[in-house]
Amino acid sequence: MLRILVLIVAVMGIANVQARTLPADPLESVMWQYMAERFMPEGEIVFDDKVIVMAPLSAENQFHVPITVDATALDDVQEIIAIADLNPIPLVLSVRPKEALSYVGFRLKLQQTSPIHVGVRTGDGVWHVSGAIVDAAGGGCTAPAAAHGESNWMQTLGETRAYAGRETLSNARMTLRMRHPMDTGLAAGIPAFYMNELVVKDDAGQVVAEIDMYEPVSENPTLTLKPKVGSEETVLHVSTRDTEGNTFDFPLTVPASARL
Amino acid sequence: MKRKQTLLAFAGSLALGVAGFSTSATALDVSIDEIMNDQSSGEDILSYGLGPRAQRYSPLDQLNKDNIKNLYPVWSFSFGGEKQRGQESQPLIKDGVMYVTGSYSRMWAIDIASGEELWQYDARLPEGILPCCDVVNRGAAILGDKVFFGTLDAKIVALDAATGKVIWRKKIGDYEAGYSYTAAPLIVPTEAHGPLILTGNSGGEFGIVGQVEARHPDTGELIWSRPTIEGHMGTLKGQESSMTGVANESWPGDMWKNGGGATWLGGTYDPETKLAYFGTGNPAPWNSYLRPGDNKWTSSRVAIDVETGEIAWGFQTTPHDGWDYDGVNEFISFDMEKDGETVQAGATADRNGFFYVLDRTNGEFISATPFVQNISWAKGMDENGRPLFDPENRPGNPTESADGKKGKSIFAVPSFLGGKNWMPMAYSQKTSNFYIPSNEWGMDLWNEPVTYKKGAAYLGAGFTIKPIFDDYIGSLKAMDPATGEVKWEYKNKAPLWGGVLTTAGGLVMTGTPEGYLKAFDDETGEELWKFQTGTGIVSSPITWEQDGEQYVAIVTGWGGAVPLWGGEVAKVVSYLNQGGSVWVFKIPEGLASN
Repeated sequence: MLRILVLIVAVMGIANVQARTLPADPLESVMWQYMAERFMPEGEIVFDDKVIVMAPLSAENQFHVPITVDATALDDVQEIIAIADLNPIPLVLSVRPKEALSYVGFRLKLQQTSPIHVGVRTGDGVWHVSGAIVDAAGGGCTAPAAAHGESNWMQTLGETRAYAGRETLSNARMTLRMRHPMDTGLAAGIPAFYMNELVVKDDAGQVVAEIDMYEPVSENPTLTLKPKVGSEETVLHVSTRDTEGNTFDFPLTVPASARL
Repeated sequence: MKRKQTLLAFAGSLALGVAGFSTSATALDVSIDEIMNDQSSGEDILSYGLGPRAQRYSPLDQLNKDNIKNLYPVWSFSFGGEKQRGQESQPLIKDGVMYVTGSYSRMWAIDIASGEELWQYDARLPEGILPCCDVVNRGAAILGDKVFFGTLDAKIVALDAATGKVIWRKKIGDYEAGYSYTAAPLIVPTEAHGPLILTGNSGGEFGIVGQVEARHPDTGELIWSRPTIEGHMGTLKGQESSMTGVANESWPGDMWKNGGGATWLGGTYDPETKLAYFGTGNPAPWNSYLRPGDNKWTSSRVAIDVETGEIAWGFQTTPHDGWDYDGVNEFISFDMEKDGETVQAGATADRNGFFYVLDRTNGEFISATPFVQNISWAKGMDENGRPLFDPENRPGNPTESADGKKGKSIFAVPSFLGGKNWMPMAYSQKTSNFYIPSNEWGMDLWNEPVTYKKGAAYLGAGFTIKPIFDDYIGSLKAMDPATGEVKWEYKNKAPLWGGVLTTAGGLVMTGTPEGYLKAFDDETGEELWKFQTGTGIVSSPITWEQDGEQYVAIVTGWGGAVPLWGGEVAKVVSYLNQGGSVWVFKIPEGLASN
């Protein structure tokens, strides 16, 4: 009986989603409708120039395609998601900026030439979408990580290089790179194994920003965020976790504004 | 990971999505009481061994000697990929879901009604793991909303039973030093700490030190640890607790530092004595001339107080082992009727070929009976259960040879793979017999010099294994523990390497390397039913009841230590093909009463 009820609810849910009309995709992605239904299942969708997506026209290295998203022109941003439409695993990451500017820089793996869609959800539930097409040679997601050429890659897991500086009187800019193979599970014989959570907190334990990462984030994840800070010196606390439950934590000091 | 994608991809896979929702609608919550009562509840299997005592006895009797002929497969589930090798796992069952582990540290949740996968977890293993004897896993543990299992890189991992996602993962040992883990974890109740999850360790061929560890199931926090080798310190709540034994009492010099005694088969628990029973493996190295003394507690059974991790008692089956009689074998608590009295007993069928009955409250020796033929290393046991060694059949000291490189070779029975190896026996509350999967084989064995090197094999011995009889090696025996009498024997051409199940319906079930799951009459040994699964069986069958019907399941896939170490025995097993799947059986509707 329970199963039947659940079945009805599930069918109705799908019917609702499919009833929504989607705006045409300026990038003309063949996957657009499917991507929108799958990753932005609720809320109005608008294409919006206030979401700036900076990406190379052509990927010099399909394992590391740098993407920068600047949605600071929008107010009340709740979430930023990035989708590589034609990747075998499309969802790249989801950022909840909370006490950070609506800005994120990262690198992704690209399996082939693909539209990159970025959805920015504001407090009213509307998805503000923009994107870019990146030209690429094949194979970014299904090749083994470069780390697997070394037998001791597990010893260096989580090794971190990170930097935080002050960008303005009211915000810092932090960049980090952590050693991790970010295995997609698509290379033969290598199960999925990737860093999937990153949280930045302030000195009082308040969440500044949260990121959910997925398989397409590049090996040795490289991320940039812009936390809001006061004028005094302060310490940001970064903690990350991977799909095997390994955790890596480190502090980052932001200098006082007098030293700007 | 896989499940999440399945759920998100609703457009194409409505059926899978619904299966997922229906199981998560009743969130899993397994209590410690349910685990302690596992043996009496037929609807689920919440522990390795069908109950904490691991008797492998089911009270179900719907399947019986008359209708077993109608047992047919319902579904078969492939573990997939190229990662086959030995499958020694026993599944767990709860709320219509099967949790089963496989080779290379993988685990699946399967919807039993449909045979469809709910999720899969693949441990990301590092390069350079050192499992001595195949990449097996023997099963999981379950408590609350989590499932737990050990991985080949010597970690224990707690997964969300609904999704397969990692909740925590803790290190049991350093895989680069040879530690690994293959046994099912054991869950026990304690008054001081609540339920704890107990693990042993593997790596006896690499000079590791055996240890039992107890962790908090919610966090993985270590509560206590107990090394098995004298001289090493135990811990309780982060502090040193007590030393195991007395340093150098039965070990010379610093040989105890790499003394072996791996607890690689896990343990059992008796709710009456509140003791956890762990078997300990062979001393390291194999060359016994390098370590004069009894070498405690190697090749022993130790009873551990689960509140503190202190050893309540120990019983050494092979003191100063020189044959790799790696006596980790499971210790099964049972109540024995003897001379009109009920004895709180426990039994274990050792690698060394003797079936021991001990008082499980204090470890006192009751009896030891050979369960394989032609035992040559000992002439028998004294009144305390200490072996009467035959000095002619201990391999010679290499320092006495002309070049000092190879001692005199001897022929010993049983072989180092044991009268019984890892494969668990069963105890029937119906017949009061033990059903022991055993092997009739011996070995040429000689000693060589060796020194310890981290991560390298630490044996100091060479060997070849030989069958004793022309027509069979495997031997399933029904033994009366009170008299030592063998009631019946089933002979199998290839060595038996799978566990045994017995039921109130009068059945004894086990699998063979030739690929058959077989059912026998528990009183006569008559073969009543068999089914060819297409690859060798080296795992333990289970049975449970679901929606009013009795099910049977077995994991299949040839492998384990025999094809890796088997010597001359390889002739009878070399043609066997690998696999990796789980088969589920029941009697088709309408045939149960036939």
